Amino acid sequence: MTIHSLMPAGQVGRSLPRLEARAKVTGRADYVHNLRLPGMLIAKVARATVAHGRIVSIDTSAARALKGVFAVYTGEDIRKHIPQPYYGPAFHDQPILALDKVRHVGEPVAVCLAEDAHIAERAAQLIEVEYEEMPAVFDEVEAMDSKAVVHDVLKPAGTFPDLKHLHGKKDTNIALDFHLKRGDVEGAFASAAHVFEHEFHTQQVMHTPLEPMVSAAEPTREGLTIHTASQSPSFVRIEISRLLGWPENKVQVKVPHLGGGFGAKLYIKLEALVAALALMTKRPVKWSLTMEEQFYTISKHATTFRIKSAVDADGKVTGRSCAVYWNGGAYADIGPRVTQKSGFTAPGPYDIDNVAIESYALYTNRPPAGALRGFGIPQLVWAYESHTDLIARGLNIDPVEFRRKNILREGRPQATGTAMKDAAIDLVLEKIAERMNWSAPFDRGTGTVLRGRGVGVGFKASISPTTSVAFVNIYADGSCALYMSTVDMGQGSDTAMAQIVAEVLNVQTENVRVIHPDTDVTPYDMATLGSRSTFHMGNAVKLAAEDAKQKLEAMARSVGVPENANIETREIFKKKYGMQAGNVMGVGSFIPTYKSPDSVTGMSDNITPFWMVGGTGVEIEVDTETGHVKLTKLINVADMGRPLNPNIVETQLSGAAIMQLGFTMFENMEYDAGQVTNASFADYKIPGIHDIPPDIENHIVLAEQGGGPFGAKGVGESATFGVSPAIANAIHDAVGVRLTDLPLTAESVLRGIRLKAGNPIGE
Amino acid sequence: MTPFELAEPKTLNEAIALLDAEDPDVRPISGGTALMLMMKSGVFRPNRLVSLQRVEADYSRIQRGGDGTLRIGALASLSQIEHSGEVRQVAPVIEKTMRHLSNVRVRNVARLGGNLAHGDPHMDLPPVLSSLGAKAIVAGPSGQREIMIEELFSGYYETVLDRNELITFVDVPSQAGWSSVYFKCTTRSADDWPALGIACSLRVENGSIGDVRLMISAATEKLTRLVATEKVLRGQQASEALFERAGESAMAEAEVIDDSRGSASYKSELVRVYVKRALRQASVGATQS
Repeated sequence: MTIHSLMPAGQVGRSLPRLEARAKVTGRADYVHNLRLPGMLIAKVARATVAHGRIVSIDTSAARALKGVFAVYTGEDIRKHIPQPYYGPAFHDQPILALDKVRHVGEPVAVCLAEDAHIAERAAQLIEVEYEEMPAVFDEVEAMDSKAVVHDVLKPAGTFPDLKHLHGKKDTNIALDFHLKRGDVEGAFASAAHVFEHEFHTQQVMHTPLEPMVSAAEPTREGLTIHTASQSPSFVRIEISRLLGWPENKVQVKVPHLGGGFGAKLYIKLEALVAALALMTKRPVKWSLTMEEQFYTISKHATTFRIKSAVDADGKVTGRSCAVYWNGGAYADIGPRVTQKSGFTAPGPYDIDNVAIESYALYTNRPPAGALRGFGIPQLVWAYESHTDLIARGLNIDPVEFRRKNILREGRPQATGTAMKDAAIDLVLEKIAERMNWSAPFDRGTGTVLRGRGVGVGFKASISPTTSVAFVNIYADGSCALYMSTVDMGQGSDTAMAQIVAEVLNVQTENVRVIHPDTDVTPYDMATLGSRSTFHMGNAVKLAAEDAKQKLEAMARSVGVPENANIETREIFKKKYGMQAGNVMGVGSFIPTYKSPDSVTGMSDNITPFWMVGGTGVEIEVDTETGHVKLTKLINVADMGRPLNPNIVETQLSGAAIMQLGFTMFENMEYDAGQVTNASFADYKIPGIHDIPPDIENHIVLAEQGGGPFGAKGVGESATFGVSPAIANAIHDAVGVRLTDLPLTAESVLRGIRLKAGNPIGE
Repeated sequence: MTPFELAEPKTLNEAIALLDAEDPDVRPISGGTALMLMMKSGVFRPNRLVSLQRVEADYSRIQRGGDGTLRIGALASLSQIEHSGEVRQVAPVIEKTMRHLSNVRVRNVARLGGNLAHGDPHMDLPPVLSSLGAKAIVAGPSGQREIMIEELFSGYYETVLDRNELITFVDVPSQAGWSSVYFKCTTRSADDWPALGIACSLRVENGSIGDVRLMISAATEKLTRLVATEKVLRGQQASEALFERAGESAMAEAEVIDDSRGSASYKSELVRVYVKRALRQASVGATQS
């Protein structure tokens, strides 16, 4: 089924335009970027120039002497105000400004404040830092046993039970080791008819939100107000309160629109420094990163994935072992969660009785890595779907047929032992095959242009356990507003959530006011991440709207309105309060059930509240003289339950696939001694309009998510899963060259072609 | 960005007088698309910028001479050139090049003179204009001089212009009998800077290459004319075998450098392939015209 064939019956299922569309295109939408506060100081930081080194001295005198500079601070100045100035969601490992040593190039070392941003920037350039350089480690596999140790001692935050055993550990870069073992893997390999083993790599890339990170903090009589482009206002409040030793109610966090997030603006980023500076200067302080600085702030994990499969004589995969190494950079951020949450899906969406998984979060001296649209899943799908294709080719079985034979079907146990539920993996595969006309003859091209096609299918568990709370407030005139801390960063959550309220209350979606996150006003939400909002917040919003509806009905009954009377809401309020007055406040709180994996076996019978499924099929042309790969067809298919807003679902699918296309074909953070050498849009290229294939289709399969609001679940990441392996598989199909490292550059394709022809290109 | 002086002279001579032959921190600015990026990133901190905005009227016209020549004012915007009927008639390759040169926002602002004087080897117009045999008319304190575009560049982001000289016009000779193509090869996104630019103009006489100008850019430190490869071509029967040979020759001749768009050895392969393709397409054009 194509997305638009689903005709709406009520508010849910309507393809209405985004509620904020007009404000955005007319430049009226609020962004922190445009925020100016009276008396505001601008912060600019001086950044580390070495990848790993002890700070011998910091000379701030020239910066302080510059006319117009208000103050210059180092990590030691921060420590005087906040004795333990370390933050982070998984580990309390990241200093607000570097203390004692620096762990990656670009780490903030000192900060300059001025009313004029140019003066602050100039001052930051005048700061002289002397380092005693230390050996550095950049590669994730080398970090497993390198002499260079990024953190002297591990400091897990205490939030996650599976990190507690790492508390106080020394001489290690391993920030989490996740293990899973199910069945008899050794036995499977011993009795296998075929064994396949491969190693795959992904490169470090960046989110490149077009609104770079920005936060401002304002001292208030009560405490602090933080205006921030954050995906997780509730977490910011909790973490700032913890750092300051304050109760949560002294910290207010406000988030307007975001110009993209993709996981970059999660947990806590710039907020800790601006909060500290606002308290130290007693003035509002704003810190805006440049696009270039974002490359030194957060990124997507580079990975090494060693995967090995046992296959029987019938082409059934009987055993699989996976070792995944995640290059987390200098600070853990949410990397250990990526390592575990994604790690347990490493064997892929296949029905394999015997599996072993090792997944390692590693500290290195690169800029930190965290969540990026898929939370590690695209790195895994890249490897297991390339591997799957290689097995099919090795056994001379059609790649789609081989997948059919092994695919994980409804009710069958996944690696953790959790039985698959509402995960239409087989339907997604079949839909791709159908849209690609897979069984028909395929034009393979001629001369110097050869054609190929490939598929890739992946799946993802939702983050858990997490909580969402929502309020629905019905005003006395019958209009209503939704109060929630879900952040609309461009994904359309304001609109989709308003549709849920409208459906329940039987009003027009356009008339539902959505109140943006303000922790003084909107209730708790874990964060806007991992495609969790539709399911989690969607349920909380539905419960809140239903609660409001019931309370309104109760109010109607209390003033003698007969059941099913055709009476306007405002009349009920008038009857109750004698005038236009009062409120009906509906509250919804949602926390799904979950069982964390066993610390020894990695097993759980309830590993996720829902599964996301996505796959991609591509047709390509390869120029055999230059190695250029041209996508001629891109088909994305997802199971996302029932769409709340089909139009938004479609744009989420195409947006995710195009983003992953950039990570597949050319995006790459390049390094020289830990320094990113292409940290700008001039040299770090993301896809433009001309890179989008002429033929792009987005489909969803007919499915319903049990327990999801109106049968819906998240969709922001699903179309990233299959893109990279589908293209690599298509390249193999076209020219017989297998690439195991991302990105799939024209140069690597041509090198492969020439190597195969016995005429290799020199170094 | 730190404060600086912005001068807005009303005449070309005033502009030249405000420039400084010795001071690298004094620079002229027209569209500013490149300069502003350099200033934002702190690569360039001017003492004084000399805006050419007020002299624009006299130096942004595009005129066609009776003999088929073309004079383009150095302050013409790239989109003005892109949409000029005169330019299209004399050298359609320029319009085709413009469609893939950066984006419409940049083309609306960037000026021809700045595009050349910036000295960036990744620009598309230097190879195209030099393959057309164009020259720059340059004005300085001691008067005017003419420089062939192919001789304008002395190194990576370096030109033979003095700091107090300004390009005023670009003259493109009559293209009667010539066929020209430009191949821009990107290796990352389609809108990336080119990994390689190949511009080729040739005349085919009785099936042979009568004359040829072959330029390489982006993969080399500066715009370079492939003189030895031109010799391989001149007077030879146009054929696939000849183009193959020319590709091999260009690969050997060009001093290709490594960068993030590809290794030198890979880009040398691209040189071979794209020279062959450019010659093939240009000779088809020459035969058809």
